[in-house]
Amino acid sequence: MIGLILSLFVGVGLLAILVLLARRGNPRVEGSAQQLVEARQTLDMVQLGLLPRDIVERIFATQDLEYVTRVAPAEVQRAFLRERKRIAIAWVERLRSSFVKLMRLHRAQARVYPQLSLRKEIGLGINFVALLATCGALQVAFRLRGPYAAPRMLETATAAAARVCMISEESLAFLKTEPLRPLEDRARGSEAV
Amino acid sequence: MLTLIVWWLGILLEALILVQALRGGIFGKYPLFYTYIATVLGVSVFLYIAAQMFPLWYRKAYWNTQIITLAVGCGVILEVIRHVLAPHPGPARFARWAAVIVFAAIFVAVFLHSFFLREWMPAENSADLERDLRMAQALALFVVVFLVFYYRIAIGRNMKGMIVGFGLYVSVSLISLTLRLFVGSQLSPAWKVIQPASYLAALSVWTVALWAYEPNPVAKPPVGKAEYEALARGTRAVLDDGRSSFKRTTPS
Repeated sequence: MIGLILSLFVGVGLLAILVLLARRGNPRVEGSAQQLVEARQTLDMVQLGLLPRDIVERIFATQDLEYVTRVAPAEVQRAFLRERKRIAIAWVERLRSSFVKLMRLHRAQARVYPQLSLRKEIGLGINFVALLATCGALQVAFRLRGPYAAPRMLETATAAAARVCMISEESLAFLKTEPLRPLEDRARGSEAV
Repeated sequence: MLTLIVWWLGILLEALILVQALRGGIFGKYPLFYTYIATVLGVSVFLYIAAQMFPLWYRKAYWNTQIITLAVGCGVILEVIRHVLAPHPGPARFARWAAVIVFAAIFVAVFLHSFFLREWMPAENSADLERDLRMAQALALFVVVFLVFYYRIAIGRNMKGMIVGFGLYVSVSLISLTLRLFVGSQLSPAWKVIQPASYLAALSVWTVALWAYEPNPVAKPPVGKAEYEALARGTRAVLDDGRSSFKRTTPS
């Protein structure tokens, strides 16, 4: 009985995915150097601009809320909460769109890599789906209950994001260059006459 | 009468696909696929003659020849993997492994079935055997299409048609064979129409999609370390140039 249900499930699943394939236009041919450099930049932006602990803590800090609640009139409190909500939603949206872009570029690079690791790819896929789901849930929570609605979920999202970043970091490691030396060092001995 | 019309149309389309492939020089590009079409054409003509001349013998011949075309049909999946995933070695490796595992599992299951259930003979339970093999084909195709979507692999008209046509036939066969086992012989009259009709639909898709040779879009070669370093060197040179100009304009 289970075998029969499984057969039906596979048959219908294949039909559904074929309909999607028939309707699909061809994706852009990817894999150029420029796109990989773009992936590196996106990763840097997520790691340095969106995920650092102090930035996340600052955006969602309850001390600010406590202070405003204690000293400011109701109108200011409402304006503060409105503003924080806007920033929180923007932060999640930015994180989400950066990861969608990063995953697209990761897949474009991964498909031409012969030693692709199935375990790593599955892990990355699961983390990515979990991250997107958490971002979606966070957005809903922020919209409905304000920027301080889901601190636990926020921790889950940043942890999943860090894991995805770590795996992407490994696959894009070859694009990491040495930082440029400071201007003073480079300019010494080459001043204009 | 309807069955006969479907039959004639099928033979006509198979012959048309083969003639067009020979005329357009596509046969050599997809040899496994066209071998499958040629085999099915041969079997269709043979079965047509058998049905007219030896109607009692036809039923047995049908299932035996069905197993042959089913086995040759696995070549279509190999053809798809070879063309769609060849420029993408990582996903190609995944697809090959998935196909090997799925087919091995099905063959082991059939072997165990016939070993432990003495009364169950593959030759006398051809419908069961066909369902199992269709299941393997469906799973292998599903993996290939999933990889095409996941890695955003661009495919040409020929390959898209080959996948959609074959997948349509395989999935409809799998569903109708399964329902036949569920519902019983009540479904037989419907099954006699559904399966040939799905094959006719597949032939129509192939006729249109494989009318002329249209290869898969060529992916740009991956960026290598050397290519990237050359790019970084160029950028750094431009930056250094800019910095020295900047230094010259800075008052000391």
